[in-house]
Parts: sequence; structure tokens; C-alpha cells
Amino acid sequence: MTPPPLSVVVISGYLGAGKTTLINRLLGQAAGQKIMVMVNDFGAINIDADLLKSAEEDTLTLTNGCVCCTMGADLFLAMGDALDRQPRPDILVIEASGVAEPSKIAEAAKAEPDMRYGGIVTVVDALNFLRTEADMRIGAQLREQVIAADMLLISKSKNPDPALISRLEMLNTVAPLHVDAPLISALLLRQPRMPSARAAIHAEYVQWSFEGQKKMAFDDLKSKLDNPPDGAFRIKGFVNSDADTAWEVHLVGKTVDVRVCPPNPSTSLVAIGLKGIFHPENAENWWNSNGR
Amino acid sequence: MSEITVFKAKKIITLDPNRPLATHVAVRSGKILAVGGAGCADGWGKSTLNTELENTVLLPGFVEGHAHMMAGSVWKYAYAGFHDRIDPGGVLWRGMTNIDQVIAGLTAHQEKLSDDEPLLGWGFDPIFLSSERLNKHHLDAISTTRPVVVVYSNFHLMCVNSVALELAQFSRHSSAVGVVKGSDGEPTGELREMAAMFPIMRRVGLDFRDLSQKPDAMQSFGQVACRAGVTTVTDLYSSMTDADVSEMQRITGHKNFPVRLVPALNGMETPPDKIAARAIDLKSQSTDMLRLGAVKLMTDGSIQGWTARTKWPHYFGGQPNGIWITAPEQIFDLTKRLHAAGVQMHIHVNGDEASELAIDAIQAAMAENANPGLRHVLQHCQMMGVDQFRRCAELGICVNIFSNHIYYFGDQHAALTLGPDRAERMNACQSALDAGVHFTVHSDAPVTPLAPLFTAWCAVMRQTGSGKTLGEAQKITPMQALHAITLGAAYTLHLDHEVGSIEVGKCADFAVLGDDPLTVEPSAIKDVPVLGTVSGGRVFLV
Repeated sequence: MTPPPLSVVVISGYLGAGKTTLINRLLGQAAGQKIMVMVNDFGAINIDADLLKSAEEDTLTLTNGCVCCTMGADLFLAMGDALDRQPRPDILVIEASGVAEPSKIAEAAKAEPDMRYGGIVTVVDALNFLRTEADMRIGAQLREQVIAADMLLISKSKNPDPALISRLEMLNTVAPLHVDAPLISALLLRQPRMPSARAAIHAEYVQWSFEGQKKMAFDDLKSKLDNPPDGAFRIKGFVNSDADTAWEVHLVGKTVDVRVCPPNPSTSLVAIGLKGIFHPENAENWWNSNGR
Repeated sequence: MSEITVFKAKKIITLDPNRPLATHVAVRSGKILAVGGAGCADGWGKSTLNTELENTVLLPGFVEGHAHMMAGSVWKYAYAGFHDRIDPGGVLWRGMTNIDQVIAGLTAHQEKLSDDEPLLGWGFDPIFLSSERLNKHHLDAISTTRPVVVVYSNFHLMCVNSVALELAQFSRHSSAVGVVKGSDGEPTGELREMAAMFPIMRRVGLDFRDLSQKPDAMQSFGQVACRAGVTTVTDLYSSMTDADVSEMQRITGHKNFPVRLVPALNGMETPPDKIAARAIDLKSQSTDMLRLGAVKLMTDGSIQGWTARTKWPHYFGGQPNGIWITAPEQIFDLTKRLHAAGVQMHIHVNGDEASELAIDAIQAAMAENANPGLRHVLQHCQMMGVDQFRRCAELGICVNIFSNHIYYFGDQHAALTLGPDRAERMNACQSALDAGVHFTVHSDAPVTPLAPLFTAWCAVMRQTGSGKTLGEAQKITPMQALHAITLGAAYTLHLDHEVGSIEVGKCADFAVLGDDPLTVEPSAIKDVPVLGTVSGGRVFLV
């Protein structure tokens, strides 16, 4: 049996922004998901002794089913190894290097049939970003990281400089969140499910869903997804097209990943976002509108 | 006492100023015992005369200071490049200058494959082809039943046929930007960057790891070196596990292995606090034929890919300045740690902003801890001027200049990347000489072919692919170029006391040539036949 596709999340941000701290948190909040984390240096990964099952030269295995390993010489070869791993993890979290272009890594998840795009998270250092961005040598590469983000997280300050916020708003339409905000792990790691499939969702989540016989052509669906309802962080589901074809939909932040799949009994779609930011009625209007 | 062999040659160019020319060289225990005339070793006792090389010209075995082990094993794929090239077995592959020739070449290669094998090609370079871009229709003409994959010479692009596209489920709906689509909305077959190439590589079993460290990769690297007259060769980016090291020790230690291997540890894959210790541990595992202990660091990208970091006025076409592969502050940090621990670094620097940064980083490391004599080497150094070379000389930094670029990419640098002014002063060997910096020249094989005599020719003639001279003022003499590919390179590897010249006490490593590169026309240096090598007194003729 072929295992389900591997969801790939890329954590980006300049040196010292707080990528490792975020990864430590994700590992602690895996909630039943088998996460595999790929980092440059796992000296910095901080695993509780009672959560650590075994430690080898380049792999840490956790009691909760998660694995942490070093990337080695070639990130893509390491990705291939992650796909071939038995059992295959549910989610691959990649810590990009401080100057990496995260989209160049995340694109692989869109291209590879056995992977799904899980989003680019960029951690922004509130105290240093504006200064480092002004550095002629590396400014452009840091801007790229912010521009590519599906989720922007601000670290090191609860009350960031308004100048930083307006700078980030100029670079990316995604509203920045504080890195310690609740539910970040849940938004990143949990696949949204149809309401019938699971018990009640967390109170700070907001969810919208649809199930019915609606059919859509690729171009219409694509233009709808290119303008998603405000605040929807993830949209997932299957949209039937014709007798032979359906579309498997993954939207994370501002990134759309649509693939061909066999038709389903019905079209089903679910969207999630954070309370106060995402409003289900907007999603309902968005879904029912005919405009592109 | 071991036996003494006296090799007789038509001429021996020693690179030793004490005895520049000779006709005989005596060898005992793999080392040079005496140099001179027929009786040079008489005082040492009984000897055997070897006349096998009597019609050849001997030079010190060439030292290639920047190559990659895959230069040999990449030949397991079909060659599809623009320039003529010779494979490890000595077969000349004619360059393919139009798409029809590429298709014909790949079709011929297909005959050797079984039905279920994919057809994999390498070395295709679109920058030289002015006709339409290679696409799936061209490759469908080769096969509609097996995947056909052509990897471009820069390893950043590939073109595949329809079977391969289907295998990776690429279609008009694919959203990855690297899947190039035509005006009809369908994938053209061209795939850009690793993210889009990855699904194909996974499915056709194209794994670059197989091209290094494996026994057959080492053997064919040895063959390539031998065919070029090289007796000491670097592998400048090596992931070395303990298992890899014992395998390398085993293979290089075999009496039929013709070349001394000098791999540098990939400094980007080990945590910064562990690299120095790992390098020191590796150094302790060195043998005569395997020299470990140096570390390779990356800074910027490539000039022809517009990813090198350049100083003002940056790129000729107004493209954005390149990228750092390692953040500048990390380069400072790594340099400081490695220098303090006494580890030699080879630092990749293509653009002049990158070379300046590397010099700054080494200078800062030296200000904290002198640790003299480590001979850190800047690699490529393509845009360095005499000002940066002088700083290197002051600090004891060596440079390894990418002279082959003048021929392979010089026209493109003048027209597209840097413009005529800076193209003329690229890979500036004369400036390096003027500054008194220790320097060598290199091929970066397989990016360009491993062939030190060709590299020397590039430094002497500075002729581009189209036949123009690029930078008259930077030409060096044939003798200076021969020094660069022997003693110059040996110095950068801390091996100049063992190899690089034919003098008493050094390894009996020779390049065996069919003619004298100092008396042929300078324009013919590249055509001097390489007949093989002598490595530690063992003769390897091709």
C-alpha cells in the first residue's frame, strides 16, 4: 500500500531569528502526528530527556514517534530519504539555512507527487530585522524570505516597532503573528478535517466547511483559490470536475497547490483560520460567488 | 636495500632551478634518488635502466588543485555537451553543436541500454545553442517507451521526454514554477532547479551521491587524472563518513591506483562547533596516497548563473547582485573557528565581493590568533584584481584561479555577465604574479575538463571559445603556467616538499608527455600529447 503523501513545512528566517525555538515547540506539540524535522545542527535542538528514545550520530528518535535528523550535504537527497523512510512520516519540517531561499525548497513539495505543500513559515527577529535588511550584502535575501512566507512570525518582542510592522506589510499581505501565539503548531501541523470526522475543534480555531455536489473546472477553481477568503490559513479538500476528474486542493497561507485526482462521491472542502481573523461567513460568500 | 630504477627520457623538465633540465632520473622506494645524466645514480649502487620512457618528455606530475570526484563517474551517463571531451577510457566524444547532433548522439547511446533502463545524458549547455530550446518533442524522437533525461552542464536544469513527465505526473495543472510550460499550457519538458528536477531524479535513480566516494567513481577519477598527466588531485567538496574514509584508504592504497587524492571536507554540512575537530580527526587518518584534513567552505554562487556576489557596478545586464550561500557572518564565524584550530580552508569565491569578504574574514581570524602557515586557499578568484591579490600575499593566503573559464565562458562574460572591461581582467594570473601571491590554476572538473596542460594554455593564451584574446595584459609565460600546475598547486595543498618538481627526496611522480610544452608554439601547449604518468615510481601509460 502506498503511504499517504508527506506534507512539507519550511521554516525560514535569518540567523538567530528563533527557528530552532519554534522547531522545539513543534516537536513538543506533535499531537499524534509523526513529524520528521531536518535541521542543520541538532546541537541546538532541545529534547526533554524523557521524550528522547534514542540518539544516533545524525538522528534523534523521540518517544512520540517524531524524528529529528541533520540534513547532510544535500537537502534534496535528504528529502528523498525522508520519503523512503519506513514508516513514512506525516510531516516533514525543514529548517532552512539563514540565507536560503525558502521557496526553492518548498517548490519541491508542489512538484513531487508523494509530497504536499505544507507552507513556508518565516521567523522575523523584531530587534534586528530592520537593521539586517538594510545591510546591502544580505538585505535582498532576507526580503525574499519575508515575501515567500505563508505565515510570518515575529520573535523577540511582544510589542514590535510599528516601523517593522509596516515594513512587513509592504513586503507581504500575510498578517504577522507573534511566535508564541497559541495554535501556531496546530495551524501548521494538523490537517483540517471535515466536521463529521472528528470531535469539536479548538475554541480558538474557526472552521468553515462544505459538502455537496458542486462541480468546478480547473481554471474557475484556480482563480477562486487565488483570491481566498481573508484569514483562511488552510483550505483542503476535493472538488469534483467531471465524470473522470476531480481536484485535490491544498491552500496554505497564500500558496495554492491543486492536483488531479479521481472523482469523489461529493465535493468537500474545509477551511480553517484563527478566531477574530477568519470569519466563516466570508468563506461561505467566497465559495458561493461566481466572480473570479 | 630496495632496487634503484633509472628512467631514461628524451628530456626531463624538472621545475627545480638547481637543475632545470635532465635526461635521467633515478628512483628508489617510490622516491627520487638522483637527477641528471645516465650516471646520475652511480654513486648509490647498482641500478636498472628503464628505457620505456626514453622517447618521452617528463615533467613533474601535474597537481590539480580544484576538481571533483564525479569528473570520472559522470561518464556513466551519455555525454551531450557542446565541446569535444575525452572519457576516462580515452574515447573522444565530439561536441554536439546543434540539437540534431544531440539527438543522434543520445539515440546511438540508447542501443547499449536494456529496455527497462532510463536514458540519462549530461553536459548539455543551452548557452551555446542559438536555435530553439531543447524540449520534450526532441527527446520523444529518441524514445516513447523509456524515460529520457538530459541534465544540463550547470546541473541546475534538465530536459525530459513525455514518458518522464508522466512518471512524475507533470501536467498542464502542475503548479511548481520550475515546470516550464509552453504557449499551449503543457509542460515543454524543461525543468528548472532542483525542486522540479527532484521528482524525476527520484524516479529514474539519478543520485549524485553515487558519483562520489564509491569504488567505481574513484577508479574512473583515477583514470581521468592519469590521462591528463595528473598525479595529485583534489576532490573539493566531499562528504566523508568513517565508512567512506576506510573505502578511500583501501582503494587509494592499491598498487594500481595511479593518483594521490586530496579530498576537502564539506564544511557546510557539519555543525560549526564540530567541523574543526572532524577535520583534525580526518587528518590523522591520512596515508601517503590519501591526504585529509582540509575543509571547503562556500560563499557565493557562479558568475554565469548570475549568483556570484559582485562589487559595483555588479552585473552587465543590470541583474540583481548574486546570493550568499553562506551568510557573511557565518563565514566570519567558521573562518575564525577553523583558523584557530589550525585547519586549512579552501574557500569558494567567484565574485569580487565574495573574495573580499573571505580575505576580511581570514584577516579578522588572524588578528585574534596568528596561527601562521595554514595556507588558506581562495578558490576560483575570478574577479580578483591586483589589490586583493596583494592583500592575500600580505596575509599568506593562496589563490587558485579558474583559467579555464576564459575559454569556456569568456565570450559570455564579455557579452552578458560582466561586460568587456571586467571580462578582460578576469582570472588575472599576471596580477597574481605581480602581487607575489602563491597561485595555481584549475579546471573545476567536471564543470570543465580535467587537463592541466589545457588550463596552462588558457593562462598563456587567454583565448575564448570564439577565438578572441581576452585580456592581453594578463597572459603569463609557458614556464610560469607550468609552475602553476605543478609547484604552485602543490604549495596550496601543503605538498610542495613532496611533489611538484623533479628533485631528490620528492615522490617519483611524473607527467609523461609526447612533446616539450616549452618548445612547441604557446598556442599548441594544449595539444601536447599526454602519454600517462609515473606515480611513486609506478608507470601508468594510457
